[in-house]
Amino acid sequence: MPALGYAPGTLAMWLALAAGLGTIAVYVRAYTLQKAGGEPYEASLALGRRLYYAFATSILVASALLLYRLLAHDFRLSYVASYSGRDLPFRYLFSTFWAGQEGSFLLWLFFGAIIGFFVLRSAKEQEPPVMAVYVLSFLGIVAILVKQSPFRFLAEVPADGQGLNPLLQDPWMVIHPPVMFAGFASLSVPFAFAIGALWTKRWDGWVIRAMPWALFTFVCLGTAILMGGYWAYKTLGWGGYWAWDPVENTSLVPWLATTALVHGMHLQKAREKHRKINVILAIFAFCTILYGTFLTRSGVLADFSVHSFVDLGITGWLVAIILTFLFGGLALLAYRWREIPVVNDIDPATGKEKEEPFLSRSVLFILSVTLFSASGLVILLGTSAPIISRLWGKASQVTTSFYDVTHTPLAIVMAFLIALVPFVSWKGETWAAIGKKLAMAGIFALLGVVLFLFLGVRKATDLLFLGAAVFGMASSAEIIVLFVRRKAIRSAGGYFAHVGTAIMLVGILVSGAYEMKTQVTLERDKPLVIENHGRPVTYTFTGVYFMNEDGVLKTEGQLDRNQLSDRRAKKAMEVTVSEGKTVWKAYPKQYVNERSGQMMTNPDVRKSFFFDLYISPQSYEEGTPASMQGNVVVLRKGEEKAVAGMNVKFVDFASSGSHSQGGTFDIGTKLEVTSAGKTAAVTPKMIVALSGPDAKNESPATPLPGSTTGEVRISRVSVNDGAVELEFLGLETAGVAIPATPETLTIDVTTKPLIILVWSGFYVMMFGGFLSMLKRAGDARHAAIA
Amino acid sequence: MKKAYWAGAALILAFLALGLTTFSSSMTPYVDFAEAEKSVRVVQVMGGLEKGSSRYETASKTLFFNLIDLETKKVLPVAYRDVKPANFEDAVSIVAIGKYQKDAFQAEKLLVKCPSKYQGQETEKHYGAKVSVKS
Repeated sequence: MPALGYAPGTLAMWLALAAGLGTIAVYVRAYTLQKAGGEPYEASLALGRRLYYAFATSILVASALLLYRLLAHDFRLSYVASYSGRDLPFRYLFSTFWAGQEGSFLLWLFFGAIIGFFVLRSAKEQEPPVMAVYVLSFLGIVAILVKQSPFRFLAEVPADGQGLNPLLQDPWMVIHPPVMFAGFASLSVPFAFAIGALWTKRWDGWVIRAMPWALFTFVCLGTAILMGGYWAYKTLGWGGYWAWDPVENTSLVPWLATTALVHGMHLQKAREKHRKINVILAIFAFCTILYGTFLTRSGVLADFSVHSFVDLGITGWLVAIILTFLFGGLALLAYRWREIPVVNDIDPATGKEKEEPFLSRSVLFILSVTLFSASGLVILLGTSAPIISRLWGKASQVTTSFYDVTHTPLAIVMAFLIALVPFVSWKGETWAAIGKKLAMAGIFALLGVVLFLFLGVRKATDLLFLGAAVFGMASSAEIIVLFVRRKAIRSAGGYFAHVGTAIMLVGILVSGAYEMKTQVTLERDKPLVIENHGRPVTYTFTGVYFMNEDGVLKTEGQLDRNQLSDRRAKKAMEVTVSEGKTVWKAYPKQYVNERSGQMMTNPDVRKSFFFDLYISPQSYEEGTPASMQGNVVVLRKGEEKAVAGMNVKFVDFASSGSHSQGGTFDIGTKLEVTSAGKTAAVTPKMIVALSGPDAKNESPATPLPGSTTGEVRISRVSVNDGAVELEFLGLETAGVAIPATPETLTIDVTTKPLIILVWSGFYVMMFGGFLSMLKRAGDARHAAIA
Repeated sequence: MKKAYWAGAALILAFLALGLTTFSSSMTPYVDFAEAEKSVRVVQVMGGLEKGSSRYETASKTLFFNLIDLETKKVLPVAYRDVKPANFEDAVSIVAIGKYQKDAFQAEKLLVKCPSKYQGQETEKHYGAKVSVKS
């Protein structure tokens, strides 16, 4: 049956769908029995687990089969033929698994299946409802893969695949997608727990169990975003790490929603209040992933993003899935709304509700949740602009300044919140008390402002931004020191995340707003001085090479087409850079992306603590030697013409070599050149290799007799017509002189101050998230069964 | 707590106002050439490259070319003050973002889509000698 495609794989996907439906049904039954009490529900629980194992195993088997087919170069499979090829080293062959949409959906399911094993064990008393919803959250994607199977066959089997997009052939792009999809898959866990809470009416227990997973998502998505940004910075050559592109935004929004959720969960755990917020956040966070998937994979943004995937014909399915989960979740929430207990602190003295003090931890947490939600909604709005604007007119998109303008105030407020939170208790503080506690951090903030003022920052909002960031940094650092002294570093995860955020904010602002970019055109071997940030640096374009992935340089002539690494080598421009006594060679690269036909560039980045020197190639001109106009003549056999004072006669062809065996042969043209009364014979040749990988034709220039610089070469030949086109070069007389154009390289040289703080701040933030995750996982393990 | 709610509400309203005004002012709609010539704001236009219309002025580092509407065949002159994008001549479609001023569309940004060999369109360039041997 051809419709089946690769049968074992297709079968595994169908099995996953069936087992998934079974798992949900049996777990629902288990929960009904559990709630009714009396009757033992262990039997259906055990069956539910077995069905989950069958569901997960089918997905793992399907993944293994797809990988196996990719490694085996089975080009019968449409997916293998579209994204893979024989010319790929192993690590990139491996990553073709997630190069296309079907494979990346399968990768998502793969992580979902694995995470499910852990959820099953850690959900404890909440296992039946949680596992039912958890499996349900993946079922839509399973259905999509049954419809749009990665195991489809092609009508005709090609000899080789189309290969992997060269942009994705980068070590960062090997690990970035798996980490991202692990994060996507893990966001199903808080969603399942939240829906489970609405279903079972247990309002607080779910937060303790789901919190380590929310932090897992936070770390995974965050790390993946960082890797994606770093990859863009060091390979794409446009100079930045973040472009507010739809593909980037649709991974950022779920991360922001998760961050809001983590803060909301912390609040609920501490106060046993604010329960509705977390249910809403968990539902929305999960739906933002689905919505992002819809935006990037339905083709709705095709005209607005370079990255967007094309429409696979699953748009309707995606819309149905989003609407099901969003409105299903919200409907359930509405149904339970009045049943969710609202806890009020009653003042025993007055019998009225206690007023929550303004400057309390609760308020700070609510503000932080609001902040992250606002940021997420704004980005969602901007990314959806092409869809929204269609409602009243032509599809439009927003410029990236929209995101920058809206996020400046958010970042400043966030930095102030970060500064306040270590020293504000749940009970609340007076302004005077908090002022005293924050005095030291405040002094650091002022010193920071003075330092940046001294360094040349003059814009008031920038100074406020940087001051707030330093304030947050100092305050968080102060509390971390306290935790370290008490040997309680494991509990300081949140503060590490905060100090990292503050460091990153400084990096983002300084490297973005205070970078200096200069564009220059370098003539071969002529040094040029560029002064960025007061540092004069000399640049000389010294050569053109080809560099392979191991950094080995070769000239064009040294390339060996039989070697894979040489075939994959990219054109590298050698720029010798000297600053004072330090001299180094930079190799920005240019190559054609065969997938899109576009010229791609790789910058050369020289890193140091204070500045990154970013050299990005813009254009390269080979240059041409001096020549004469009107130096091309067409001659038939026996014909003679006057060329720049000479008389040239085409006598006959003179070929040598055999072209029957596919080897090389020469086509020679016997000429008689008469110049200043002397006649001499010249035979320029064209060397032709007919077939094979070395197919070519070359026609070297042959010196002309009686001239020091004059040369002649065959530019075109037709043996059948008995005609030849000759090109005369370097003649001293007659014709119009065309001056030589120099070999030039145009580069953008950018100095990016303190960009290292973006990466290092992010690392610290992720480390903090990881610490918190460990701590919350411990809490969940030790929590009593609710 | 009451005060906190008011402060929160005020902050959210202020932010909402900022968000919406920025949103509407930073919109860059796709328009046709006639509209682009009239519009005072930044817009984007899409079209093909009119053959032989591109020329690069080295002194001013400006690329001039004509964008042609593939349906109406209307032509829009464009000026782009930057390095000429690599393999620009091969473009099958060009998106230009900018404003119409001084008899030309002043593009701030160009998005050049080139034919892909994976869509069956060969991008192979022929230069140098050509030979036809049938003997």
